[in-house]
Amino acid sequence: MIYQQLINGLMLGASYSLVAIGYTLIFGVLNLLYFAHGEVFMVGAFIGLYTVILAGANIYVALAGAMIACGALGALAVVATVRPVSKDHPLAQLISSIGVTIVLQNMAIYIFGGQQMAFPETIKQELYRLGPVIISSVQIFILVVAVVLMAILWLFIERTKMGRAIRAVAENHETAALLGVNVNRVVLVTFVISSAIAGIAGVLDGVKNSNVSPFMGLEVAVKGLVVMLLGGLGNVTGAMVGGILLGMVEILSAAYIGTTQRDFITFAILILILLFRPSGLFGTRTTEGS
Amino acid sequence: MLDTLFDGYTRSILVFTGINIIAAYSFYLPFKTGQVSLGQAGFLAVGAYAAGIMTQKLGLPFPVALLVGGAITGLVGVGVGFPALRIRGIYLLLLTLAFAEIVQGVVMTWEYTGGAEGFQRIPYNAYTLDYVYGLLVVLLVAFARLERSSLGRAMDSIHEDELAAEVMGINVVSIKLLAFGLGAFVAGLAGALFAHHATYVDSTTFNILVGVNILMFVLVGGSSTYWGPVIGAAFLTLLPEFLRMLREWLELLPPEWVEGAPLKRIYAFVHEFLDFENEKRLIAYGIILIVMMILRPDGILTRDSLRRFFAGRREGRLA
Repeated sequence: MIYQQLINGLMLGASYSLVAIGYTLIFGVLNLLYFAHGEVFMVGAFIGLYTVILAGANIYVALAGAMIACGALGALAVVATVRPVSKDHPLAQLISSIGVTIVLQNMAIYIFGGQQMAFPETIKQELYRLGPVIISSVQIFILVVAVVLMAILWLFIERTKMGRAIRAVAENHETAALLGVNVNRVVLVTFVISSAIAGIAGVLDGVKNSNVSPFMGLEVAVKGLVVMLLGGLGNVTGAMVGGILLGMVEILSAAYIGTTQRDFITFAILILILLFRPSGLFGTRTTEGS
Repeated sequence: MLDTLFDGYTRSILVFTGINIIAAYSFYLPFKTGQVSLGQAGFLAVGAYAAGIMTQKLGLPFPVALLVGGAITGLVGVGVGFPALRIRGIYLLLLTLAFAEIVQGVVMTWEYTGGAEGFQRIPYNAYTLDYVYGLLVVLLVAFARLERSSLGRAMDSIHEDELAAEVMGINVVSIKLLAFGLGAFVAGLAGALFAHHATYVDSTTFNILVGVNILMFVLVGGSSTYWGPVIGAAFLTLLPEFLRMLREWLELLPPEWVEGAPLKRIYAFVHEFLDFENEKRLIAYGIILIVMMILRPDGILTRDSLRRFFAGRREGRLA
């Protein structure tokens, strides 16, 4: 029983991690709480759904489609709503991102309607018995995709030149610019990568829950924030581990304490961390708030 | 009294605008000392439920419930304000967000006030409009006086630079706590007024988006003057209504005005575009928010624009 719950926690945590990575990357380079990130996740889920329904594509094409479309959405968001807003006004930037949230959510309601839509079965459901736990092919698929994605991202951040530039900008905007890093380009790349990952996470979530709705973004957005804090603001590895941790905590508290108390516990944890370990469980790159 | 002057639609718009302005002030008070709260919706909920329990369960008269409900909310605010002293910026934003979420969770599970089914049959207050605008006048007078008082200046200096303020001998801790508590008190009043107008509230009434909206009222209106929250809350509350009315006004145009092919096509396009369903209206609303932040990141009204306005008037009188 407990092993089964841990698997479920891992599944939930994987999608939290993927969303929180984007948050934390964007927070790192811009010191901005990018509110619209949850809606990008939702858009990704719908794009995946429609590539499956309309083009009859398989799940890999759906993932690629969501990745590309959401990456483009991220680029558009930077050019149209982030760059034009003055950098000296962090709260104006926050509001602009709230504007993006409102636009994306209502566009989705307008285009797709305000109801849940079923996500067709794209992976053949098979159950495997692994010692005490039963794991389905869908779960294995989601876990593999999430882990591969995180591994690629980690290598990108730690090993490539662009990754180093992102870390430099996260450390200090001005110094990075003085050292010849093209900050504008770094911000653009960060948004594209974060949004693409959120898009993939959206499709995975659609596959896991077998449905998609225009309102799925908000909860994920809030949970992503909690995870970002848990891992330490701007700390990518922290966000990965933090997401899994929160997923586990939520599933276990839902199983052993009660479903209604689940969110309660999440936010109680958030408050405790804010008060006693504001730098997160794993430390943080940027210490000052927005 | 006031309510006899207007029809139902206007009345309800006026009530919501007024309550939104009061809620905006509840954000503005702590903001004046540099504390940004995303959780004002939580305080609105506390006020609404506290006052609702007093009128519906205990049978107390509304004015008593309003004041006591506000006071209870203020105390809760001081309780939240204490831990808030230690943190700032994004951390405070998240702390207040978590507070609002926890309030929502409590409300949803508390069977005494209906739990997930919501708090029903809260007595209707027929004088909501008078209360709301009376309170608004009181708030405006209070803020006008605060602006020129040493307390107001101390708040502004904390906003600018906490350390410098402390070195100057300002009691930063108690002023920040006071501002946070007073903000919660005002939010409690707004919540109580809302509950006794709507007669029904549940855990989704005061969700996180409400808190986000309250923050936007102040920042869109302009946070450097106390008129900003009024302008922002009125603008953002009335904007969707205005967008709804645009099409009706367009239809009032006499048809002979839109003769000729190009003009007719433009008319048809605008008419089609203004065929606002809820979502289209909200899309326009979101776009307007983004454009506003690009053009006026300090909000609609700033201290400078006020000064220029009054200076211009004075020159005009001299000439």
